[in-house]
Amino acid sequence: VAASAPALAPAALDTRVQDLKAEVMRLNRDLLVLEEELLFPAGTQVAVFVSMDVGKMFELESVQILLDDKVVSQHLYTPLEVQALHRGGVQRLFVGNLRAGSHAIDAFFTGRGPHERDYKRGTTLKFDKGTEPRYIELRIKDSLARLQPEFEVKVWQ
Amino acid sequence: VKALLPTLCATTLALCAAASAPARADGSAPHTVNAPHYGDTLFHFFQDRYFSGITGLMVSQHFGRVAPHDDEAEVLRGGMLLSFGMHPQATEVFERLIEHKAAPAVQDRAWFFLARIRHQRGLLAQAQDALARIAAPLTGSLEEDRQLLLAQVLMDQQDFAGAATVLDSFKGMKGSTDASQFARFNLGVAWVKTGQAERGIALLEAVGQAPAANEVQRSLRDRANVALGFVALQGKKPLEARAALQRVRLASTQANKALLGFGWAATELNDPQLAIAPWAELVRRPVQDAAVLEAHIALPYAMSEIGAYSRALVGYEHAVTVFEQERSALQGAMSAIHSGALVQSLLAHNPGEAGLGAQARIEELPELPYAAQLAPLLAGHEFQENTRHLRDLQFVAANLAQWQASLGSFEDMLANRRAAFEQRLPAVRQASGAVDLPALQQRRDTLAAEWLAAETSQDPAAFADSRELTLQARLTRAQAALKSTLKAALETAPAAAPQTEDTSPDASDNADRLRRVQGALLWQQAQQLPARAWRVKKALRDTDQALANARERDAALLQAQQEEPARHARFAARIGALQARLQALLPQVALLDTAARQQLQHIAVTELQGQQERLDVYAAQARLAMAQIQDRSQVAQRATPARPTGNGARP
Repeated sequence: VAASAPALAPAALDTRVQDLKAEVMRLNRDLLVLEEELLFPAGTQVAVFVSMDVGKMFELESVQILLDDKVVSQHLYTPLEVQALHRGGVQRLFVGNLRAGSHAIDAFFTGRGPHERDYKRGTTLKFDKGTEPRYIELRIKDSLARLQPEFEVKVWQ
Repeated sequence: VKALLPTLCATTLALCAAASAPARADGSAPHTVNAPHYGDTLFHFFQDRYFSGITGLMVSQHFGRVAPHDDEAEVLRGGMLLSFGMHPQATEVFERLIEHKAAPAVQDRAWFFLARIRHQRGLLAQAQDALARIAAPLTGSLEEDRQLLLAQVLMDQQDFAGAATVLDSFKGMKGSTDASQFARFNLGVAWVKTGQAERGIALLEAVGQAPAANEVQRSLRDRANVALGFVALQGKKPLEARAALQRVRLASTQANKALLGFGWAATELNDPQLAIAPWAELVRRPVQDAAVLEAHIALPYAMSEIGAYSRALVGYEHAVTVFEQERSALQGAMSAIHSGALVQSLLAHNPGEAGLGAQARIEELPELPYAAQLAPLLAGHEFQENTRHLRDLQFVAANLAQWQASLGSFEDMLANRRAAFEQRLPAVRQASGAVDLPALQQRRDTLAAEWLAAETSQDPAAFADSRELTLQARLTRAQAALKSTLKAALETAPAAAPQTEDTSPDASDNADRLRRVQGALLWQQAQQLPARAWRVKKALRDTDQALANARERDAALLQAQQEEPARHARFAARIGALQARLQALLPQVALLDTAARQQLQHIAVTELQGQQERLDVYAAQARLAMAQIQDRSQVAQRATPARPTGNGARP
């Protein structure tokens, strides 16, 4: 059986595939921008992030987010995701829309705390939503003084 | 020279890019993320989800929300582009960082990545120049990578002494990293190949006898010992060759070569008997390996060398049979490749959904009828690259298909919004028209003028509340009633004694009471005047604010009425333009997919044809050896005089 000759030289194929990937990335960016502007306009956008500062006293398993007493997000973590949080990643857990005015966010963290015990804690915050996007970060910290994990809510300005 | 280092560098590229990002769980210095969206990119990056990481980052950069990590984010983006093999795009990112005079540490990292790209593209002098521009030691493992890259660049420019000097800097380090061991191995092989065998052997000996901390280092140690063995064989030093080859693990991927060389070393020692054991072991192994193929004719050769001609003949015959079977299997494998079975199975086994560049190397083939014959393909760089292209194209096709569906949803959503807007607009217009804002403003202005007049004249009655107004009304009525009573009394009383307030004690008393009440009321109002004037002033201010808000809402409503259709039209135009771009990409993807499949098939078939040619050569050698043995046997028979027997001569 004779080997069939390729349609494109290897170098040409490589260049064309790389160019295509670059164009697909640009297209994805523009599509994601459109999606965000269409679905989550800046005036009403609210995004909730989860991060971990050290996190040795808490092994995160899941998070539940309530906005104005309505469950908007629940997430069960994979070991890879937990590792990414440990390394400094910040997870955008939820993005949605809220009217201008006062709102409340409640977050419940489930996992294993000190001494491998089941651990569930909640944290809450009231915040105002104006005409700018609102970014809220839920941060899991270690309290060395209390030897307990702490859960903070930070509203980015 | 086995180009091991570049391969290793490619796989560790992601780790190099990670040096720009925080890492705390591993004990390194804490690093604060001051922009949650930059942290989100890191979250994807740390899970090797580079495509979503890079596109998410590009979106955040579009909205300007990664500050103050702009430069760090660009380094990260460049690193991820590099990991996708997108060299021109990555180069653009790093060059821009340098041109824009980013922070010195960022510029240093950019120069490092530029050096890596230039090295991978074979621009050695430019790569060395980029490395020379790094002003300060890089952070974390990047500094070691920089030194290793410099050593590799020098080696590729035949500057082995320079590379050795660079690599010597690793000697003081506690333990050896995989990369530094690879670099030493490469340098040792390079030295041997360029005639400086003594220095090369010394380096390979060091690698071949170094303690190994992991499988990568154990495998490299095996390679070094195999290299040493064959160098010694070429130098006619069979004892040294056997000593080195004996150190190779029998279960190692290098074991076949080691066993083959071990046998050849025995024949060099003029002791072919010693070669039989390793070669007999080798011929029991899968025949797709080149060393095993060679062993199939080497083993009967050893037999013939020790005078076991009949066993040698059987061995050669067996080898020819094996070669023919393998040749036939290769033919079948080529037919399977032409039918597309290889590509289909590869894609099914390694789906592209995981993202661009995911699972960069294919380590094992799926179950195929001729998987054993195809297995050697995995070692080929070209095969791996084309498989990666194909998987990337599959991913791109799936990504575009997903967006195509989403764009359809966006169009529907926009149509619904437009319909809802048009449906609600009349009611909203009616509601907004029901409030007469100019009339309200006029009323406010009138009240403000009254307030100003009252405050200027300090008229306490102007600020009377409803209770006081009621009282004032009652008082006025009482005063009128009193006057009316007196008037009636005057008309009916005798002229000699007219009744007046002054003369009538009751009337006088009532009038006094009314005056006192009036005085008290005025006094109370005078007391309240400043507070009441202030309250009115505040109420007017509140009214002004409320009217301003109402005007703003009215204007916004008016603007929305005018602009919303235009906004909808802009969204529709964007969706249309993106749809067109997407549609234009689809045929390109299909075309490249076909080309990549053909390319992959071509590489595979070419490789298998090479294997067939090797088999043909070995088969010819085996047949020649068989003929020689038969000739030798016939010559020996002719030379031996017939011994007389009772039954006549034996054949």
